[in-house]
Amino acid sequence: MAIARYVVRRLGYLAIALFIVSLITFVVTRVLPGNPVYLIVGVQADQAIADAVAVRLGLDLPVQEQYLRYLGQLFLGDLGSSWRTGNPVSFDLAARWPATIELASVALLVALLWSIPLGIVAGLRERSASDRIASALSGFGVSIPEFWLGMVLILVFFGILGIAPPPLGRTLGDIPPVVTGFLLVDALIDGDGTALGAALRQIVLPATTLGFVIGAPLLRTTRTFMREAMLSQYVRSAKALGLPHRSIVLRHALPNVLLPVTTMLAMLYGYLLGGTVLVEYVFAWPGIGKYAVDSISSSDYAPVMAAVLLSAVSYLLVYLVTDLLHFFIDPRTRS
Amino acid sequence: MSVEALLEIQGLRVSIGTGATSVVPLQGVDLSVQYGTRVALVGESGSGKSLTAAAVLGMLPSGSVVEAGSVRLDGAELIGLPDRRMRDIRGRRVAIMFQNPRASLNPVLTIGGQIAEVVRVHEGLTRRESQERAIELLDQMGIADAKRRAHDYVHQYSGGMAQRAALAMALSCRPSLLIADEPTSGLDATLQQQVLELVTEQTDSMGSSLLLITHDIGLASSTCSETVVMYAGRVMESGPTERVVGDPRNPYTSELVRAYRNVGPGRMNSIPGTVPVLRDFVARCSFADRCPLAEDRCRESVPVPRAVDGREVACLIA
Repeated sequence: MAIARYVVRRLGYLAIALFIVSLITFVVTRVLPGNPVYLIVGVQADQAIADAVAVRLGLDLPVQEQYLRYLGQLFLGDLGSSWRTGNPVSFDLAARWPATIELASVALLVALLWSIPLGIVAGLRERSASDRIASALSGFGVSIPEFWLGMVLILVFFGILGIAPPPLGRTLGDIPPVVTGFLLVDALIDGDGTALGAALRQIVLPATTLGFVIGAPLLRTTRTFMREAMLSQYVRSAKALGLPHRSIVLRHALPNVLLPVTTMLAMLYGYLLGGTVLVEYVFAWPGIGKYAVDSISSSDYAPVMAAVLLSAVSYLLVYLVTDLLHFFIDPRTRS
Repeated sequence: MSVEALLEIQGLRVSIGTGATSVVPLQGVDLSVQYGTRVALVGESGSGKSLTAAAVLGMLPSGSVVEAGSVRLDGAELIGLPDRRMRDIRGRRVAIMFQNPRASLNPVLTIGGQIAEVVRVHEGLTRRESQERAIELLDQMGIADAKRRAHDYVHQYSGGMAQRAALAMALSCRPSLLIADEPTSGLDATLQQQVLELVTEQTDSMGSSLLLITHDIGLASSTCSETVVMYAGRVMESGPTERVVGDPRNPYTSELVRAYRNVGPGRMNSIPGTVPVLRDFVARCSFADRCPLAEDRCRESVPVPRAVDGREVACLIA
């Protein structure tokens, strides 16, 4: 019951946050130099034609009126259309967001798998071999740009070793029938082993790139909090009571580490769901980040607005889920 | 001194670290706790009280080396025992209660679950049996409605209750020796008295010995029949409390008692100087530099404890 009330209140906050985000994004996109009208009609066009286009796009109205109109449409679920692709924005997003979600999820999984176990082991003993390795890897991870790592991986695994597919996004010979829009899931549902294999091979390098880069701060956080937990008085007390090492690490220390780590995970996932522009560019990944940036450079307002709002929604929802998760991990939040 | 003591520490010397930053915080500690007695270990901060306790539990900080001496429990040597064997002794034979009990309890595990785990590990009870034992223990420590409160977490407990829960956990396997490390610091005077009464009542009923670590001589003398005074990693004076505190013979004990007696409104009496950092083994009386009675010979050798008027004193002048 308390949880239901809490969720409703949080969703209310989410609506308020979205309103503020939409207002800021709207103002920023309109204030920025650049006008889609001349990109559409061309600089040589007649002023009359340009004006007609401006009227059709509603750009002749005062900004506040444009905003109210946009908000009204948004309320009805209409995100507007992109003049660049000629499609309704919701259609474009539906075609691109699944690719971003898949990449984000696989990248997060990669990050989880390498950084959290290593962080736990490294945090157990300061200056041990695993601690040194962890510190070197996390230092490397936080200091390299992700697009650079992506290019190095392409060079090695595609260029030299030839075991990875070319960085051409998600081109498949046979696309499985669209059920969910998620290529990996659709291939699995279809039972199409070839398509699944191809889709997996294509996602490995970009997901590894992102997974390594976002795993670095995750590793640091895990290590730091594990270290802190192992030095805490409740762990000292558990040791003094003769509890086995295994229980001390897994039962006493780890849950206390998972609190900050899940928060960080949520932050990283929210960040990834908004689209990772550079990696999407390097791997020609047909995701939302690339779509948003292409739209910005052509003053295509509606997709930019939609991409920002989508990013904000996913961020806030991931945070909500994390807070609910904490509800189960951390008894202190329950009372 | 009787032959069969529960805990017998002899000439315990511990160093920490190597090279320029190394220290020797325990210079040769002698201490014994008889069966079913209460012993107070008093001294200023940095005198090595807590480290002595850590050595008994085999939980010295990393980088520590036991250079010399022995720690025997029931006649069996603990120094050099592998961790697996030590783990069997901790919690079952010797338990410790740290300062600030709230921090000793894990914030994400239920109080009952934490106590039950200790019983389960040492006595091989089932989950259900150990949970029942935990409730019994909480009840025995005076937690009202223990059955329900066992499912609570430490943040739902008041300071006094956390103290009781920590004691229940420490005493869950009826250890022969309970070490209480400053168990009442940070509590107000009435609560201090309550906690100490509870601790002594419970250890007495279990027939356990108590080693009370404190810097508060008043607390020591109201609780313990024996008092051991430590300074700079050595025992300065030890024996029956009424002798050691009532009529101190070591100048250090006298200063400590005087400083304690004069606490209150107005000027506080303190011992001039500070506890030295012990870079190395000190081959003389460690207190000589602060001692009002020091003579040249005090700086020539380590005073050997000798019997003076019903207690042991490590002082040439006494």
